[in-house]
Amino acid sequence: MSDDRISRRQFMGVSAATIAAAAMGESLLGCSRAAVRPTGATGGIGYFGQFGVDEPLVRNTLAAALGRGGEYADLFFQHRITNYMGLEDGEVNRASINTELGVGVRVVKGDQTGYAYTEDFSPESLKRAAETAAAVAEGPARQAPPSFRVSDGKAQRYPMQVSWEGVEPKQKLPILADLNARALKADARIKKVSLSLTDEVGVILVADSLGRLVEDFQPMTTLSLSCTAEEKGRRESNRYGSAGRAGFEFYSPERLDRVLSEAVARTTILFEAGQPPAGELPVVLAAGSSGILLHEAIGHGMEADFNRKGVSIFADRMGKPVAKPIVSIVDDGSLDGSRGAINVDDEGNLAGRTVLVDQGVLASYMHDSISAKHYGVEPTGNGRRQSYAFAPVPRMRATYMLPGPHTKDEIIASVKKGILAETFTNGQVQIGAGDFTFYVKNGWLIEDGKLSRPIKDVNLIGNGPKVLEQIDMVADDMAIDEGTWMCGKDGQSVPVSLGMPTVRVASVTVGGRG
Amino acid sequence: MTNPSMLEIARRAVESAKAKGASEAAAAAGLSREVKVGWRDGKVEKISEATSRGLSLQLYVDGRYSAVSTSDLRAEAVEDFVGKAVALARALAPDPFRKLPDPELYQGQAEIDLELEDPGYDKITAEQRRRIAQALEESARAVKGAEAIVSVTTDFSDGWSETARVASNGFEGVRRDTAYWPVAEVTVRDPDGRRPEEYDYAGVCHFGDLPELAALGRRAAERALQRIGSKKGESATLTLAIDNRASGRLVSYLLGPLAASALQQKHSMFEGKLGQQIGSPMLDLADDPLIVRGLGSRLFDREGIAARRLPVFEAGVLRGYYVDNYYGRKLEMRPTTSGTTNLAWKLGEKSQAELLAQMKEGILVTGFLGGNSNGTTGDFSLGIQGFRVRGGVLAEPVAEMNISGNHLELWKRLVAVGNDPFAYSNLRTPTLVFEGVQVAGT
Repeated sequence: MSDDRISRRQFMGVSAATIAAAAMGESLLGCSRAAVRPTGATGGIGYFGQFGVDEPLVRNTLAAALGRGGEYADLFFQHRITNYMGLEDGEVNRASINTELGVGVRVVKGDQTGYAYTEDFSPESLKRAAETAAAVAEGPARQAPPSFRVSDGKAQRYPMQVSWEGVEPKQKLPILADLNARALKADARIKKVSLSLTDEVGVILVADSLGRLVEDFQPMTTLSLSCTAEEKGRRESNRYGSAGRAGFEFYSPERLDRVLSEAVARTTILFEAGQPPAGELPVVLAAGSSGILLHEAIGHGMEADFNRKGVSIFADRMGKPVAKPIVSIVDDGSLDGSRGAINVDDEGNLAGRTVLVDQGVLASYMHDSISAKHYGVEPTGNGRRQSYAFAPVPRMRATYMLPGPHTKDEIIASVKKGILAETFTNGQVQIGAGDFTFYVKNGWLIEDGKLSRPIKDVNLIGNGPKVLEQIDMVADDMAIDEGTWMCGKDGQSVPVSLGMPTVRVASVTVGGRG
Repeated sequence: MTNPSMLEIARRAVESAKAKGASEAAAAAGLSREVKVGWRDGKVEKISEATSRGLSLQLYVDGRYSAVSTSDLRAEAVEDFVGKAVALARALAPDPFRKLPDPELYQGQAEIDLELEDPGYDKITAEQRRRIAQALEESARAVKGAEAIVSVTTDFSDGWSETARVASNGFEGVRRDTAYWPVAEVTVRDPDGRRPEEYDYAGVCHFGDLPELAALGRRAAERALQRIGSKKGESATLTLAIDNRASGRLVSYLLGPLAASALQQKHSMFEGKLGQQIGSPMLDLADDPLIVRGLGSRLFDREGIAARRLPVFEAGVLRGYYVDNYYGRKLEMRPTTSGTTNLAWKLGEKSQAELLAQMKEGILVTGFLGGNSNGTTGDFSLGIQGFRVRGGVLAEPVAEMNISGNHLELWKRLVAVGNDPFAYSNLRTPTLVFEGVQVAGT
């Protein structure tokens, strides 16, 4: 809604990190140059040609970056092409292509960072960026690595069966047209349908002063269906989205059916939905996207940069119990094809599975290379960035809770008066105070152990450590949500995944009415 | 610092689009420079600096539409992506509403200097930036009670940008602007184990308009220290005053549903309500793009349409929508402007302290946490923090609470507006006071 200039410059509230489902048609991104091509499974550096650079240029740029005494430097080359296609009022009549091509230069000295980037790959421009970043340090120059080696051991978590580069617009059109027709037919109350389909192929190449060269090919696709329904003069809108790192094969008949049925059901039930009461109530979180609670209540607080600076509420709690032993929480880059999957992070480190809470005990922070060095541990592969225009910081990937001993039915049956929270739009946390919120779009009131009536549009607010202690039942039905989640921190957005089994939280403040 | 080639790049892109088969085209080319110095606990934490370029192009081909944007401005790359975009448009369904704006809408730009570009921008040095960031920390740490401070992070960022827009039916425009943003964030230790954080900031177009930086750092620390001991209050229906820095968040939920796209797509609570009473007579604001040195000011919008003052609410009555060219055609409404610029409020006469004295009992909201608003129905639910107000003055801090309601009811209970528009947001909100708001807590 706001002018581009304002949205870029407008001050975004500090001390808070957010998550939201990517808005419909939000990523209007665009195209150029040679198509992005994946190289062989591990192979040599296939992307030098793509970026129009070679090893001497990389070495010279790193030499300039280390020219003032920086202890470490890296270059992050990125080329990403994102296609968007949209349907509104029955027609696929809008599409866009966005191209991002640039390189970021980072120089680190202790916990100090210098950063610069450029979209111009000429030797002069790269040198200027390197010298700008170098200025964070003061001291004698250090040497660039005499040789480079290609890192190995990288997993392949998102092979595409049908690469986006070979997919013509006319192959995507029927997906949107068909979903539109079926949505309008599914329920006579549906009056407006809009759809967006995005696909993205990106390559990154990290070269650092340790002589490492790491490249990765990263696809992503999202499909989102929004609808507005009318009943007796009232209107309600809702949406459903599905996202993953995959090729065109992602859109199986089952997935398309699910996107359709979920969007319609989540919209039309709103006519029957009311507001829950206001105040502290037991809350049951449904399996799947309830992982938003973990993302906010503990995830951000476990990002090591906040702890290194002492500004997280979890800063002094490593090795201490924070939840009941039935609670184990992980952040995982290794879920094949998921939105939060990465083979390597944006510092070139291998990304695996990090246990944040092990049977109730705080086990590990999420690290980038700066915080890993500070704590004397191995990086966990959580150093991520929005694009070449940003320095990496510790970020989540796919955050979820492991299954527990209970069942969904027994959890719901255990609640005398409370709510079941099923679908969510967004959340936010204050890292230091620990207060966090998440917004429930669809849910149910639970009375005497049974779902009694639907609820909608209510914000839940709690304090991270207190809510973790209050998780007293965990079911065996863990599910990873497929939603189009975007996590925001320090003005940077990255795609993430969420997961959760059904759990019971003994008490949370429900922002209802009456 | 100016780069006259942005206009040239935009012109060339439009020409290329036409040569490759577009009947009409519009392009925007931008060059921007951003510099940021981050400071934490006694030393530089981060410096970043970059000059960045970008081009976006909208194409109208055989009654069809596509758009492209890129950071790759090499001539051969631009040629290549224009060709791809033309082919892409041809694969789509025709859209009779996709046309450039009627050139008549380009006419009548205000003949004033908005002073959005600080002519002294180039003179700001790296050393000056560093000193500002350092001074912010020092003033934060100089407050009474500073021993409770865990960490102070400050930064000073500034930027310069130039955007040139060209449309094939007769529009050309260039705008340049500068901005400076000092920020101080302070985290303190609460004896209960929490580490509440607060901040203060400013944002201006001209370096000379920056407020006293020592006061800014001090206020960030004082705000953080005031959070110590905050507790959840009881659930109740209360009078709420919303601090002018926070109230923009609430107001922003009115703006999305005022867009023609929301009306046309039937997800606006304001559809069909032009001329109706939406709020109390206190709700009175216009969109004003022509405020000198205003953060949202502009002479033309992102489609080239000449910027004019747009009455939005007058004495609580809805008077105007944000109508862009495309959805205006779909709705058969004359375009007004494609997005919020600055909000100009009809202000009250009382300061926040006077308003609190008048309300006697309630809550002063100093910040929102998460939450959302349903633009279709107006239902909202938002996390809040702030202070209890007792006997007309601030009492204990409250946190982890929530307000819920519906905008179409809430704004009718707007009972007072302060005299204190917040200068560092284009929404320029004053302190707002609402009666009878449902607050959830214990």
